[in-house]
Amino acid sequence: MSTLSNSTNTSSDSPSYSEQLAISDNPHATSLALAFKLAFNSFVISVEQEIHLSAVTGVYGDSGSGKSTLLRIIAGLEQQAVGKISLNGKSLQDSAKKQYIKAEKRQIGLVFQDSRLFPHLSVYQNLAYGAKRQKNSQLSIEKVLTLTKLKSLQHQNVTQLSGGEKQRVSIARALLAEPKLLLLDEPFSALDKSTKSQMLTILKDIQQQLNLPMLYVSHSLSELQYIADQLIVVSAGKISTVNPIHQAIHQLNNAEETSPKTSLSLTVAEHLPDYGLTRLSLPIAQDKTASIYLPLLEQTITPSLLGQKLPCMIYARDISISITKPEHSSIVNHLPATIIEIQYGKTNALVTLKSGEQQFFAQISLWSKKRLALTIQSTVYIQFKANAVHSYHYTESPKNA
Amino acid sequence: MTDISADILALTTTFKMAALTTIILLLLGTPLAWYLAKWQSKWKVIFEAVVALPLVLPPTVLGFYLLLAFSPGSLPGQLWQSATGSQLAFSFSAIVIGSVLYSLPFVVQPLQKAFEQLGDHHLEAAAMLGAGPIDRFFSIVLPLTKASFITATALGFAHTVGEFGVVLMIGGNIPGETRVLSIALFDHVEAFNYANAHILSAGLLIASLLLLSMVYLLGNNVNKTQQNLAKS
Repeated sequence: MSTLSNSTNTSSDSPSYSEQLAISDNPHATSLALAFKLAFNSFVISVEQEIHLSAVTGVYGDSGSGKSTLLRIIAGLEQQAVGKISLNGKSLQDSAKKQYIKAEKRQIGLVFQDSRLFPHLSVYQNLAYGAKRQKNSQLSIEKVLTLTKLKSLQHQNVTQLSGGEKQRVSIARALLAEPKLLLLDEPFSALDKSTKSQMLTILKDIQQQLNLPMLYVSHSLSELQYIADQLIVVSAGKISTVNPIHQAIHQLNNAEETSPKTSLSLTVAEHLPDYGLTRLSLPIAQDKTASIYLPLLEQTITPSLLGQKLPCMIYARDISISITKPEHSSIVNHLPATIIEIQYGKTNALVTLKSGEQQFFAQISLWSKKRLALTIQSTVYIQFKANAVHSYHYTESPKNA
Repeated sequence: MTDISADILALTTTFKMAALTTIILLLLGTPLAWYLAKWQSKWKVIFEAVVALPLVLPPTVLGFYLLLAFSPGSLPGQLWQSATGSQLAFSFSAIVIGSVLYSLPFVVQPLQKAFEQLGDHHLEAAAMLGAGPIDRFFSIVLPLTKASFITATALGFAHTVGEFGVVLMIGGNIPGETRVLSIALFDHVEAFNYANAHILSAGLLIASLLLLSMVYLLGNNVNKTQQNLAKS
């Protein structure tokens, strides 16, 4: 879809907007003001932006885009960066005034991709390393051991731990240094899928319990969709404005060469184990909801999902369009929708539709587009299989997410 | 003075010299090795070459230049004399200074290599947990490079015990002051006193062998634990 014409989203997703409001209304909201430049040999990272930190701000970008460097600059590990950085109004760096607060004084935590545990110390001693260097500690090592489920491992040598355990220690150690902001640089990228899922659940839980703002770097959109509520996109040393997660993923449909997709949050309505399905509900009008089915959620790990919002992804290539209501089809999901935009590629078209306030993206062949005589404002039905609805952590994740 | 008591005096002088030299070398060599390990400049090779010079130069060359520098007629010698009131050449202080220079690479090189291998990863992690530079050195660098510190200490000490040329040039042969084992041995041989020469030679040989064996034993043990740790 690289040849698609560039266009901006004319409308946006309503749930995202309400999420954004909730963030700015929060009196405890923290802000990170960045205005700096750092040049390596041929690579320049240049950022000027104020980020209102929410619970978890995702940082997305390809490898080599500069997202790790961005975190290192904020952390105070790249002293060559020139410019200004401040956290919650407190200046961490102001090159013009020759001010530079060192990494150890910034009260920012950083969890590295390679856990960097101290090999000469035990699990407990690794945790104590950060805790000992805090003056007014609020958190006890005991509490953090519980939060990160490390109690049984506390006396172990860190060299005997598995990859997931190491990253748990790494997170626990960072928490005990009681940072005002926690940076996570692809912390789980080396872990297998199921361990990664467990880690994300633990991390989300920690975030909610400690109310600690986080900046989470990853190159996996599905992972970010699960953990983050807003997103920054880093590309060639520049960063995008911060947008609510679904809106940010939709914007990537235009800019990225990856598969276009619909990103949305749906409420879990009921489980239908006899049919192997779970029903989710999507508000499409006042007092009216549509049902969307996906393969039965693994209730063993998530027994109380009913009523919860589930982040979901549907690939545009998996959504098809029908002029008439597809009542006699095996495809379980179909919704009425209005076409609001059509972008043409070489062999196919990316159709943006709206069902209620929710945007959907469908990729269809140019032949189908012509045959169905689709135009903007056409009222149609979109349809997709239950299998096409992916929810990270709960369903089998799509291969190229 | 009997030969034996003279030899015992030479032994204590040697031990004092080597111990003091090793302490000074660790204090000076550690920051120097750190600097060389972290410094990224094309000029670094010159400093590395200067540190390594004693490995290739005949000790007498170093001794000759030091003798010139330490003489009361030269500036360093004069400064020393006005500061301490005594002459620098042919003194215990002179052989300690000479030994420090002579054994420098034996302490700096293993430490520099260890610091380079250690890298920045653990230090960055420690900084993010609130540890300042000195704190990081004692809590992270020292425990993780312990084996190299043991090696550096032992090599520095053993090499200083074994030196001859530099001491001969700048120390002379003053009992209790600059007469060290290697010089006492040379005296015995010159006087055809082979029995005493045998005692000293065999003693030095066995003591050095024991010391080095101990170092390698300690080093191997620490290395094994560090290798286990590195597997993590």
